[in-house]
Amino acid sequence: MAQKPNQRGATRQSIKATKHNWPTRTVFNPGKYFRQHQATFIESFMRLVNYPLSSVMTVMVIAIALSLPGGLYVLLKNVQSVTDQWEQQSVITLYLFSDLEDTQALALSHRISAQPDVASVEYISKEEGLRYFESSSGYEQILSSLPENPLPIVLRVIPKEVVDIATISNLQALRDQLASQKEVEHAELDAQWLQRLANILSFGQRFVYALSVLLVVAVLLIVGNTIRMSVESRRDEVLVMKLVGATDSYIRRPFLYMGFWFGVLGGFFASLCILLLSWWVSAPAERLIESYQSGFQLQTFNADEIVLCLTISAFVGVFGAWIAVNRHIATIELQ
Amino acid sequence: MEIEFQRVGKKYESGQEALSQVDFHLQQGEMAFLTGHSGAGKSTLMKLMMMIERQTSGQILVDGVDLRTLSRRAIPQHRRRVGVVFQNHQLLFDRSVFHNVALPLQVSGADSEQIAKRVRAALDKVGLLDKEKYNPMALSGGEQQRVGIARAVVNKPQLLLADEPTGNLDPRLSAEIMNLFQEFNRVGVTVLVASHDLALVARMRHRVLTLNQGRMVNDGGFG
Repeated sequence: MAQKPNQRGATRQSIKATKHNWPTRTVFNPGKYFRQHQATFIESFMRLVNYPLSSVMTVMVIAIALSLPGGLYVLLKNVQSVTDQWEQQSVITLYLFSDLEDTQALALSHRISAQPDVASVEYISKEEGLRYFESSSGYEQILSSLPENPLPIVLRVIPKEVVDIATISNLQALRDQLASQKEVEHAELDAQWLQRLANILSFGQRFVYALSVLLVVAVLLIVGNTIRMSVESRRDEVLVMKLVGATDSYIRRPFLYMGFWFGVLGGFFASLCILLLSWWVSAPAERLIESYQSGFQLQTFNADEIVLCLTISAFVGVFGAWIAVNRHIATIELQ
Repeated sequence: MEIEFQRVGKKYESGQEALSQVDFHLQQGEMAFLTGHSGAGKSTLMKLMMMIERQTSGQILVDGVDLRTLSRRAIPQHRRRVGVVFQNHQLLFDRSVFHNVALPLQVSGADSEQIAKRVRAALDKVGLLDKEKYNPMALSGGEQQRVGIARAVVNKPQLLLADEPTGNLDPRLSAEIMNLFQEFNRVGVTVLVASHDLALVARMRHRVLTLNQGRMVNDGGFG
């Protein structure tokens, strides 16, 4: 035996490994892996079917929790699709200081009309303003009783850009810029209602997001709790499986699939709820909107959104199950 | 499978010393009984072999490999090579006899054809082939015990451990169960049976290991 000690050691070790066929870790075998997953996939579904009452309750709670933000999302989507088409040729009205001379006002008017984002400026002198008032308002008597014309010079600035709900902020910048001129006492953008609508919509959007997050967390807790109880009720089975050599991932797997099924079924029924609800309100909603605008088509959950809903709910289901299983399987040990 | 205990001790965190300085060597293909009063350490010894517990001193060699060198992830692989009949991990009553016996095969990823073949072979050996569709609840105590044995051997283990397998069975059934273990031993399986039924153990004429308060007080003889 002229071998060096370290070589001899290595040889002995390899002999030991082959002689005793002593696997210290699972060798990955795709066929076996797929087979086990397929079996668990079906078994975990059958387990839900075998406990119909509790399964249906859990699935429906998840479905309701998900259909709430989903439904609001559809509502928001419709409001947006309607309002997105509303364009407005808006006007910024500048009320100049009443002690301003006509020449100064004209100079300002020229300056503003030279701006690249301004289409035109209409100059309304004090007299024109008074005539307009007299002809249209029925204030003649009050106006004629006044010692002098109280109206200021007014510039009506027509911006080049036609705005919709998304670009309204561009006009506000223009209004602010014009309001900062020293001759201008007050500037008003008459697209205010568009702005208000934009504010309401962005408020609605945030509300839906926040609600979605809350309800997704709720679904996580529901799934987690259901899985926890399921683990507890299968305690004996978990122990026997550990005894006969089940790996941790093998023991976890049916519970993760259970979470998957809860999530997918919950998402499916949530989508169904939303589709039914959209169908139910579609006739009156379309009549309502058509009175304002032609060619309106009520939007509902489309295929992409259904897939997204199912994906999110499946993911949430698996994640909720994963948290519960990791916490509770560790507490079940052979003794 | 060859088992060697070298000065093995197990002290629980409570301070209780379940085993101390236990030495014995079980040859490949040997059959032995483990006796002793309850609390003498029989169950602890079996749990160490299953890696349910870890010893606090000494070495346990299984086929020459020190169990302490195995990682947590290797435990399932080890358990698949050992068949066990434990009192407190009995059958699952939510499934048939067939599916109880199939469990170790499912766990190790056998395909359904193989599972059916091996489960039936195991049930045939214990004489319960005609009861595969029954719920174990509907079987007698002796039959349930035999289902447990079928489950322990279905994976063709190299070592069979049984903890009080005849616990509450009448003498005739107990003898039947012991004969079953003997049959498995005859085909090369190493068998270790813990039992306090000294009369029965003596009749079997195999090596007897006796524990008393965690110490091996007798090794050899026929009890």
